[in-house]
Amino acid sequence: MHEFNWGLLIVVYLFLGGLSAGLFFAAGLANYLEIDGQPAYPRVAAMGALLAPWPVAIGSALLILDLGNWYRFYKLFTHFRWESPMSIGSYLLTFFTGIAFVYAYAWLPEAWRQQLFAKIPATWKQAHRLNVDLSPHRKLIAMVGFPFSIGVGIYTGVLLGAVSARPFWNTNLVAQMFLFSALSSGAAALLLAMVLDKRSPIQTHETQFLITLDIVFIVLELFIILPYIIHGQLSVLAVKQALWLILGGPYTVVFWVFFLGLGLLVPLGIEVSELAPSLLKGKVFHGDRKLALVASSLVLMGGFLLRYIFVYAGQVSSFHKMGMLH
Amino acid sequence: MAMKKKRYALVLDSRKCINCKACAVACKAENQVPVGNTRNWINEARQGEYPKLRIDFEPEQCHHCEHPSCARVCPTGATWMRKDGVVLVNYDDCIGCRYCMVACPYDARYFHEESGTVHKCTLCSHRVDKGDLPACVETCPSKVRVFGDLEDPASRVHELLATRRYRVKEPQTGNGPQLYYLL
Repeated sequence: MHEFNWGLLIVVYLFLGGLSAGLFFAAGLANYLEIDGQPAYPRVAAMGALLAPWPVAIGSALLILDLGNWYRFYKLFTHFRWESPMSIGSYLLTFFTGIAFVYAYAWLPEAWRQQLFAKIPATWKQAHRLNVDLSPHRKLIAMVGFPFSIGVGIYTGVLLGAVSARPFWNTNLVAQMFLFSALSSGAAALLLAMVLDKRSPIQTHETQFLITLDIVFIVLELFIILPYIIHGQLSVLAVKQALWLILGGPYTVVFWVFFLGLGLLVPLGIEVSELAPSLLKGKVFHGDRKLALVASSLVLMGGFLLRYIFVYAGQVSSFHKMGMLH
Repeated sequence: MAMKKKRYALVLDSRKCINCKACAVACKAENQVPVGNTRNWINEARQGEYPKLRIDFEPEQCHHCEHPSCARVCPTGATWMRKDGVVLVNYDDCIGCRYCMVACPYDARYFHEESGTVHKCTLCSHRVDKGDLPACVETCPSKVRVFGDLEDPASRVHELLATRRYRVKEPQTGNGPQLYYLL
């Protein structure tokens, strides 16, 4: 039996890294949108900014723990190898995490910031010099962060797509698939967090914004997944055999039922049915709380399963062992 | 006299292989390969039913590729290629991310649990540098394995590849494998 070199920790990391990228992107976008000169979605921007750094920070920690020698992770930063997606990715990830934390700091409410610094001893003067209000620079930080968030979203796919030995991964579509999945996961996570936040209930225009964003990303993701399967079927034998893993092989049910069905089409259906009346018939958008909760949870599950399927099925696919699987 | 460029390779006359696995045992002893792991192995291909049947044996190990995908993806440069074509792992730089194991089309690498690093066939470079043969080559009783320098016109590998038909495994991966199987 083929053994798996990359396991669940890698799946979780790929998901969390993408999630942060998506959260940052959605939050940054919300920060830029205005209606009549006033910020249109300030609470969405704040929530996203405060959430964005944590998943990637946890994910990076998991990534380091997954190494054979975790304490040697610093060696990633004493080398730069442009041919290795992992080398490029580790720099991207570090810059992105840093920017995401700075951005979260810029969105930290004044009271929270003072509370935080009250806990630092007054004698630590250098630390207190960091007690500055970055809120006027939010747009600049978001702009600097956009390319890095997209970079992190793409890189998780490139990491797999660049492996020429695994026909399941080695297409030019995996990177985009992971990017759009990451962006839709981010929008969904933001929706979920705002729906669950009982202290300040989500407002309908915020639900509408996040649902619209999610629909766009899910549709883009679908436009990548369908060609991935069709083109794979029309490709050389090794790719065709690799696709058998999700077309009759061991990952078929999890791919079609749980990922594509429950994780993509069902939430898309819910979100479209929510949005369509206001979009097509000019009716008032209501935004049912429970439906938003269900849809966003399903999108997150789908995002996780996409990584699960790709990490595991990809490692089974190969040029010389596939024949034995049949 | 200027030093000549070297390119070590292994030519395998797999029809001579009797699946005695002496090569795998010699390698394990020479390189202290842990139980459960292996740096070289023998593939078996069965065909037909008794009494009309045949079985083919085919020894395999790291192909010491010309364009090794393992070395390309390594984030720290721990996997590298010597000038004579031997692909090695610098264990001090290996962080154990296993990207190379995922990237190897031949699944020729294993994770060394004790050190947390990735190991593989070194073509017995420690022996070759002293002028000896790799352990698997030296021990093979049916003379399946021929080791030598492709750049040396007087070498046996050069002669075999010039006069016999051969194939390499999975050339479509673009790795440029350097294990040559005689037909």
